[in-house]
Amino acid sequence: MKSTLTDKVPLRRIGQYGIFLALVLICLVLALITPKFLTVPNLTIIVTQVSINALLAFGVTFVIITGGIDLSLGSMVAVTGVVAASFAHPDTYPLVVPLAMGLLAGVLIGAFNGFVITKSKVPPFIVTLGTMTIGRGLALILSKGRPISNLSDTFNFIGGGKVLGVPFPILVLVVAFVSCSVILRKTVLGRYMYAVGGNEQAARASGIDVSKVKMWVYTLSGGLAALAGIVLTSRITTGQPNAGVGFELNAIAAAIIGGTSTSGGTGTMAGTLIGALLIGVISNGLDLLNVTSYYQQVAMGVIIIGAVVLDSFNRTSAS
Amino acid sequence: MKRLPITILAATALLGTFFTGCNRGDESGSKLTVGVSMLSMQNEFIVNVSDEMEKKAKELGVELVVVDAERSALKQVEQIESFVAQQVDAIIMNPCEVEASSPAVTRALAANIPIINVNSETKTQPTAFVGSDDVESARIAMRYIAERLGGRGNVIMIHGYMGQAAQLKREQGAREILQNYPGLKLIAHQSGEWDRSKSMSLMENWIQSYGGQINAVFAQNDEMGMGAVKALTAAGLKDKVVVVSIDAIPDALDAVKKGTLDATVFQNAEQQGARAVETALKAAKGEAFDKQVLIPFELVTKENVAQYLK
Amino acid sequence: MRELLQVSGLSKSFGGVRALDRVRFTLRAGEVHALMGENGAGKSTFMKILMGLLTPDAGEVLLEGQPLRGQNVHEVLRRGIAMIHQEILAVPELTVAQNMFLGREKDVAAGRWGWVNDRKINQLAAQLLDQLGLDLAPTTPMKYLSVAQMQMVEIAKALSNHAKVLIMDEPTSALSDREVGTLFRIIQDLKRQGVAIIYISHKMDEIFAIADTITVLRDGTYIGTRPAAELDQSTLIAMMVGREINDLFPASTAHRGEEVLAVRNLTRAGYFTDVSFEVHRGEVLGLAGLMGAGRTELARAIFGLDRADSGEIYLKGQRVLISSPREAIRRGIGYVSEDRKALGFVPGLSVQQNLTLASLRSHQKGGLIREQSERTAAAAMITNLRIKASGPDQPVTYLSGGNQQKVVLGKVLLTSPELIMLDEPTRGVDIGAKFEIYKLINQLAASGLAVILISSELPEILGLSDRVLVLSKGRPTALLSKAEATQETIMQYAMQH
Repeated sequence: MKSTLTDKVPLRRIGQYGIFLALVLICLVLALITPKFLTVPNLTIIVTQVSINALLAFGVTFVIITGGIDLSLGSMVAVTGVVAASFAHPDTYPLVVPLAMGLLAGVLIGAFNGFVITKSKVPPFIVTLGTMTIGRGLALILSKGRPISNLSDTFNFIGGGKVLGVPFPILVLVVAFVSCSVILRKTVLGRYMYAVGGNEQAARASGIDVSKVKMWVYTLSGGLAALAGIVLTSRITTGQPNAGVGFELNAIAAAIIGGTSTSGGTGTMAGTLIGALLIGVISNGLDLLNVTSYYQQVAMGVIIIGAVVLDSFNRTSAS
Repeated sequence: MKRLPITILAATALLGTFFTGCNRGDESGSKLTVGVSMLSMQNEFIVNVSDEMEKKAKELGVELVVVDAERSALKQVEQIESFVAQQVDAIIMNPCEVEASSPAVTRALAANIPIINVNSETKTQPTAFVGSDDVESARIAMRYIAERLGGRGNVIMIHGYMGQAAQLKREQGAREILQNYPGLKLIAHQSGEWDRSKSMSLMENWIQSYGGQINAVFAQNDEMGMGAVKALTAAGLKDKVVVVSIDAIPDALDAVKKGTLDATVFQNAEQQGARAVETALKAAKGEAFDKQVLIPFELVTKENVAQYLK
Repeated sequence: MRELLQVSGLSKSFGGVRALDRVRFTLRAGEVHALMGENGAGKSTFMKILMGLLTPDAGEVLLEGQPLRGQNVHEVLRRGIAMIHQEILAVPELTVAQNMFLGREKDVAAGRWGWVNDRKINQLAAQLLDQLGLDLAPTTPMKYLSVAQMQMVEIAKALSNHAKVLIMDEPTSALSDREVGTLFRIIQDLKRQGVAIIYISHKMDEIFAIADTITVLRDGTYIGTRPAAELDQSTLIAMMVGREINDLFPASTAHRGEEVLAVRNLTRAGYFTDVSFEVHRGEVLGLAGLMGAGRTELARAIFGLDRADSGEIYLKGQRVLISSPREAIRRGIGYVSEDRKALGFVPGLSVQQNLTLASLRSHQKGGLIREQSERTAAAAMITNLRIKASGPDQPVTYLSGGNQQKVVLGKVLLTSPELIMLDEPTRGVDIGAKFEIYKLINQLAASGLAVILISSELPEILGLSDRVLVLSKGRPTALLSKAEATQETIMQYAMQH
């Protein structure tokens, strides 16, 4: 079978390579401006800091590919963190308990999102907006408005520990990335996600249980948010009811920068990871250069718009 | 035809409330009601102040109606308006913003209901103010840093949300002291948005760019101070850097006891809450009261931390 | 006649696929020049280059001897080339006159202080409409016009631009016979005024009625240009598909076997009432009727896309309740929708991924897709259905309509159905692909499938069906045997009540 490079690589994906090039370029520029940037400790710190946003972004990538959105991510981080922290005091439960409870909380909230969205046909934007507020409230109720501190050392290892010199959050990130990529690219579920987002009617007519796919997607998003919540809680060694405010926006930004189209049907985990890294590198670089956060916000906005413009440009030139 | 009796009924009911409203002051003996609008019940310190108020109210037999403004000045103004409509006997407000919460004070005063600002200020003068001077808290923190470093060294400051009253005042206080010590150099400052993980990331990045040059960190609240401590400990630098923050939340007190956080500044929630309720009560009953009740800050270090730990 | 437009050596590629390969074309003033070719032959790419929407990779376009460098729509319009689109692009709230001069108000009717002189615009519009013999007030809001009238306004607008070359892409697709007559009269008028018309259509009778010259493209290459008078239908088709098609409807070799589907008194209020029929293995049941007769709705209900209100469905003698397409597929029912964009393929996925979408469960182990198995199944279908794609990984959006239709059909076939319902399977498909689909329908029946064929093209129904069920306003009016079914009888029953 004859096939050239251009056949295998749809034009649309050039956007993603463009973002990768942008990441490399920005890294080069930062390396030239400040010698502090391109060092192993600094790069390690960037990836550690990125891990939480990347975990959330993986989840929301699933959701956006099916044509949905999940605004409850930040609140889920808070709830799952608080839940995990409540079971993580020293000499109370073994480590699996806080982890399982945290994950369970995330999975339940995610499944709740999926359930309401599929049963009521209310747009995901509105449902998850509601869950965002509910989640924040739950986090405050469960913690009585106060941070939950005094967590066990084993629990704190997740966010602060190192294995063979590699910070544990990076390991979590790598495992999650590989798993999510496999789900998206190699499983029936992953293929169905693209189908549902690309053309929901056609997916249904092809015998796909669209509701089930959506249930899965929001549940996965909840589970990954729980993972992020646990890592964050362990990293700051406190369950914070007000943690994660606005995290959903950064996660969505990472997915979009990485080439996931908000109209559904396209996107890759690699793209999302690059998007998250890009955000992290810029934030780290501007901190190193002591640029105030005001400019950082402007820079982030410019990048998001740039990525989407690039995406739509590729789209029109492809069709 | 049927509509007429209802209209009359409604009018009577309205007049009724009007007259009972006028009689308000004479009902001595019955329980007084105080409306309370708090900045944010997601903030531990504010929750503490609110708890102390409840405690004091119980003790004095006052009924408190506490609402959460969720950091929205608009919401706060609306809450005060509804307190005015409910004809409460006094209002305690923990303002969200200096300017934007001012209309709430005006509304209350216009309705002849005493309004007491607690913890922070508004532009419009309320009936009374109970709280502490944020500028002073930062002066205490920075003075401690100056002493520890012997007046010489590199300092980093982590701000709260830029432009908020607490951030502005704490920055002002810190800079006043820095000016008195020309040997102290502010090498970097950035907003940590009052948030522990945000401040931790910030500190991690600073450690990359300044490393061993950092001698002290002043964080404008304990959450951010704890984040900085985490980052410094992970980098193995904690022993070489002095970290001071403000608020004395339980987590920070623990850290001071362990020696990871060098000092925090105690803002007396108990006093603020209790004195606010007392002042509100006096104002409602028409008794004499202080128009400004300033609760002093206290520096908490390893030496005196025991007395703050409950 | 004067040569208006000369095109030579025009080439254009998209990501490795040659859409146009050294195409030439000559257009004379005052002629109607039909551009023929299957879908995917390169007609629309060619037109897009002429309109300045695409830049060619190589080649030259001369308009009245002057080169036309593309990529500038305004320049092209100014030089006198205009296109009447398949979809009409008008602002419904504006009047006829305002639409005609949209964007050019200041050039034709500038009033004082930058105001637009509406009276002047209306005068100009009235003149043009009159010139076309149209009885239409310039002040009528566009939204009150019929599609045909809107099209006339588009033509008038092109004339107001002093168009010398007018491109008409399937102009009659939404017109009634009477309206087609009006359009043709206008085309004759335009010819007399020296306007040249490039006419694109799939309808053979129209082409022979109106065209002076015919140019054929196939697979992006130039095949030939002939005067229309020298061509007949079969020669033209042979030029288009590259081979002779003697009999459009190949002989069927299928044998009718046991009953697969039986429908009893199926009713969905407002769509169809009391429909009963059965289909057997090896049989093609034609479903005929006018638009809105309830044919598609009937198929949707059988496939579980909609719920019927009452009645029964039996599969191989067993009564079944089908509540979702998933269940229908599981029970061996396949449905190829009339609307392949909405219900057929998923645009983001590749040819292979679309082909295996409905049968992916048979290529999985523990949720993981077995890639080799999937690839083999897709490759077999690509070969069997002769799907023209650069490879299994090509995005399905880049395929022509006929090939997309084959992908959708292949997807359904991969679920190994026992009953397949084809709803307008050749709509928007060119003649070559049509023939292939006809052959395939016969093959399917011969291999023992039961086929239900829904089509608005009577020759299709007559050529392929063993029996024909006619619906009229949702009610079955006749079940005709092959011998009984003629165009006249079907039409008569379709219009009954």
